[in-house]
Amino acid sequence: MTQTLSVPATETKRKPVVRRRREMTYAVYLVPSGVLFVAIILVPFLMNIGISLTRWDGIGRPQWIGLENYTRLLSDGEFWASFEHNIALVIAMAIIPAAIGLVLAAVLFDIIAKRFGPRTASILRACIYLPQVLPFAVAGIVWSWMLAPDNGALNETLKKVGLGSLREDWLGDPKLALYTVMGVMVWVQIGFPLIVFMAGLQRVDPSLYEAAEIDGASWWRRFWYITIPQIRPELYVVLLICSVAALKSFDKVYILTNGGPGNATRVPAYYSWQNFFEKTQVGYGAAIATVMTLIIVVLTAVLLRRQSKAEEDGS
Amino acid sequence: MLKTGKTLAALTAGMLALSACGGNSGSSSSPKELKLWHYEGPDSAMGVAWNQAIKEFEQTHPGVKVKFEEKGFEQIQKTAPMVLNSKDAPDILEYNKGNATAGLLAKQGLLTDMSAEVTKRGWDKQLAPNIAETAKYDAKGIMGGDKWYGVPNYAEYLQVFYNKKLFDKYGVKVPTTFDEFTAAMDTFAKKGVTPLANGGAEYPAQQYLYQLALSKADRPWVDRYERYTGKVDFHDPAWTYAANTFSDWVKKGYIAKNSVSVKAENAGTSFISGKYPMFFSGSWWYGRFEKEIKDFDWDTFLWPGTKMTLGSSGNLWVVPKGSENKKLAYDFIDITMKKDIQNLLADNGGVPVAADPNGVKDPKNKKLIQNYQTLAGSDGLGFYPDWPAPGYYDVLVAGTQKLINGSASPDKVLDSFAKPYDENLSNIGH
Amino acid sequence: MTSVTVRRRTPGSYALLVSLIVLAVVMLLPFVIIAFNAIKSPAEYSSHGPLSPPKSLYLQGLKDFWERVDFGGKLLNSLIISGSVAVLAVILSVLNAYALGIGRVRGRVSIMVIFLLANTMPQEVLVYPLYFFSKKVGLYDTRLSVIIIFTAIQSAFGTYLLSSVLSAFPREILEAARMDGAGRLRILWRIIVPISRPTLGVLFVFFFIWTWNEFFLPLVFLISNENQTVPVALGVLQGQKMMDATMTSASALLGIIPAIVFFLIFQRTLTRGITVGSVK
Repeated sequence: MTQTLSVPATETKRKPVVRRRREMTYAVYLVPSGVLFVAIILVPFLMNIGISLTRWDGIGRPQWIGLENYTRLLSDGEFWASFEHNIALVIAMAIIPAAIGLVLAAVLFDIIAKRFGPRTASILRACIYLPQVLPFAVAGIVWSWMLAPDNGALNETLKKVGLGSLREDWLGDPKLALYTVMGVMVWVQIGFPLIVFMAGLQRVDPSLYEAAEIDGASWWRRFWYITIPQIRPELYVVLLICSVAALKSFDKVYILTNGGPGNATRVPAYYSWQNFFEKTQVGYGAAIATVMTLIIVVLTAVLLRRQSKAEEDGS
Repeated sequence: MLKTGKTLAALTAGMLALSACGGNSGSSSSPKELKLWHYEGPDSAMGVAWNQAIKEFEQTHPGVKVKFEEKGFEQIQKTAPMVLNSKDAPDILEYNKGNATAGLLAKQGLLTDMSAEVTKRGWDKQLAPNIAETAKYDAKGIMGGDKWYGVPNYAEYLQVFYNKKLFDKYGVKVPTTFDEFTAAMDTFAKKGVTPLANGGAEYPAQQYLYQLALSKADRPWVDRYERYTGKVDFHDPAWTYAANTFSDWVKKGYIAKNSVSVKAENAGTSFISGKYPMFFSGSWWYGRFEKEIKDFDWDTFLWPGTKMTLGSSGNLWVVPKGSENKKLAYDFIDITMKKDIQNLLADNGGVPVAADPNGVKDPKNKKLIQNYQTLAGSDGLGFYPDWPAPGYYDVLVAGTQKLINGSASPDKVLDSFAKPYDENLSNIGH
Repeated sequence: MTSVTVRRRTPGSYALLVSLIVLAVVMLLPFVIIAFNAIKSPAEYSSHGPLSPPKSLYLQGLKDFWERVDFGGKLLNSLIISGSVAVLAVILSVLNAYALGIGRVRGRVSIMVIFLLANTMPQEVLVYPLYFFSKKVGLYDTRLSVIIIFTAIQSAFGTYLLSSVLSAFPREILEAARMDGAGRLRILWRIIVPISRPTLGVLFVFFFIWTWNEFFLPLVFLISNENQTVPVALGVLQGQKMMDATMTSASALLGIIPAIVFFLIFQRTLTRGITVGSVK
């Protein structure tokens, strides 16, 4: 398989002119999306940058104030302090789910499907994916019931199995709240990598596994040397998309804790939202959104370069 | 694959064709239609009363149809400026009172100034000055101004709901003074029962705190805080007393330490389930308690030892600037102010602004209205603590959470209230 | 778990199965609780709390909610919007990924970064500009506006996933097809699309479910009740001070059933992938 992936030798020897024409014919396929993107994403983004240089309440004439919103943002200590919580969210929404998802996908694909039938595997997969289907506005309510300090399901269960001393105020204790939120985020998130990885595994040539089995490779060896390299493209996609989601989402955290207790779970994405819609300081909100976007875009660009380099090295 | 591709393509084409023709097909609004939006549930007191008002309106205006759409609170909240600035705006809608909501729309020029209509139809005489304050705004969108931008036809206020069964069980009498009130709480706390239901993650906690402050405050104090008529000192005797007492109550077990993450809904339902003897909250719970509390008798009393308590007018009827049927909209408001609609509101557990208590049958409902009239008559409605600045609700939640779990001193918490308050003042140019 | 026992059901593999079943139950627990509360009367909810199993069947909540928000209409709107977005976004993703993943167009990393702006940007950025655009072209308060917006947003993710996957596509298959004289469009349609079907299926499912659950942009762009989607209708119940938990659960149950059904139907597409094993 590895050698089949290599780029045909002729490719690299082609003349630049031929290559450029080849690219042109491919570039045509980008046109429909390109038009849509310019209109729906790019122009609004540029307009947003424009808005960020004004004081505006959303209606009427914006008032030009130059970089004032940005200087204000730089000195907004609360905003920058909340970035710390974002790291926790990236861990809970990207890194842990990707790791668990990878192992689960391999186990379901390679062990459960083969020994208990593909039906069993796909039922289990469906169950694990379901939290992704549930609107979080609803899931949040249910979790607050389960984590309630007084008679929540979790504390009651702990009491019943004789671990009453472990009962906690899960969302109310400032030391615990962030970890509790992380736990719920993992619950929400693992379905996504699982599905992506399992789809990726279907692409893998079964003979690879067969050969490895015949060679007597252990399950972990196969996991490490076949599964992971084969679905590396998906792994990158999942890590990038989930990290981006973790950096810009606040709704889930806010449904659970409203940023509290105190400010223990406050995240930066909330500030832009709040200024856009609660304080109707659209200009300042736009400045926050622009800064957030730039931070995420830089991160995306770095990850994409690395991925594209890895792909070229691998092929 | 090719076949499925073609079917999918055909399907999409069909869907797109369907989706392009939106809902606003007949948008050349004929004068024979009154487009009305509100966000009250059909079983709520307001829902029932306004439904009846719609019927009466259609009877008195033959040939005019009311096109009512029930909206979500959040949808109106988030999109009102955009909707009102488009041709899809309704002719009349319910909107939240306060500087950050109705005040903002008024300032943006999206609402009709209906002062002339209010005096002409005599609505100003029906509304207590306390209630009218939230319907009038100045050019900066601050309440208590000179122009009417809305009309409320119901009110709301806070009182202590109490569980008679638990009071009897622990031999506690209904308190009439503040000392009796603390003595009652003490009795419960000593028996291991937390006396007050609380929700630290939402509005209940800040309402306890603000009530404590109000009990040491007067009308100019409220005006300074809510209408920026003077400098607000968050370390004045009222605020200091409130924060210290609140923190003290947590220490004494009057308010549960683990109520930090509890939502208002859960605080309310834990009162319904008979877990807590008392819950200090708004008249919006009234109808629900009446319907759902089956296991014990309950009643209410006003917070003892205070001249002022939390409360205000209910949401407002506002008429968008672009409304093409303003006269019909005023006619509709007029109907909601009539005695029969007001009494219907009362019979369903609402607090009407102009009801006749004698026309109300149920003794509990009667008391609800009498308590209100006592407060409105003595200028006793102190509004809500989260009104002065947009986003202030979250500040108050965070601060009271720190008071409950003791992670910050009352002094520090009051500091945390002052900063965003002052920032807002400088933003609106005060 | 060593390879010698590959297809036999060892005690180890049973233990694994059991622990996965436990995991699945944990994942499903919140759904069970929602279902419980959806069929409880409000009084029962208030007196026994949210976690107790229902003592009697109370369907009034479901019925009331259905009638109150005209749920059938919302269902149709959501189906039209999510279905259209899913199909259109998959098509656009395939076209883009063909150029970026197979064609390796120059500057593809930069192009990808720009496309991904759709995902990296907080959604509130879109609200004011698109509000003015849609008013200008007469699409404000139409389902089409939401379809167009989400097609752009979802296809950004699709482009990225598919390009990554296609950049690992075996080149010799393409070469072979080219030798046979197949044109680019033909290669795309006859070779690439069928082989990447599992991934396309995944994208389709994701796009549908993500669009189905979108709340904020539909809230802003679909003003009339007759254009609204299911999640916006669920939002009707969340008042300022009141949240009726049984009604919320009932609405949640109604709201997620279609998405679950959709997922279960397409679950089969996900399983029936064609593997690259056919290469040889």
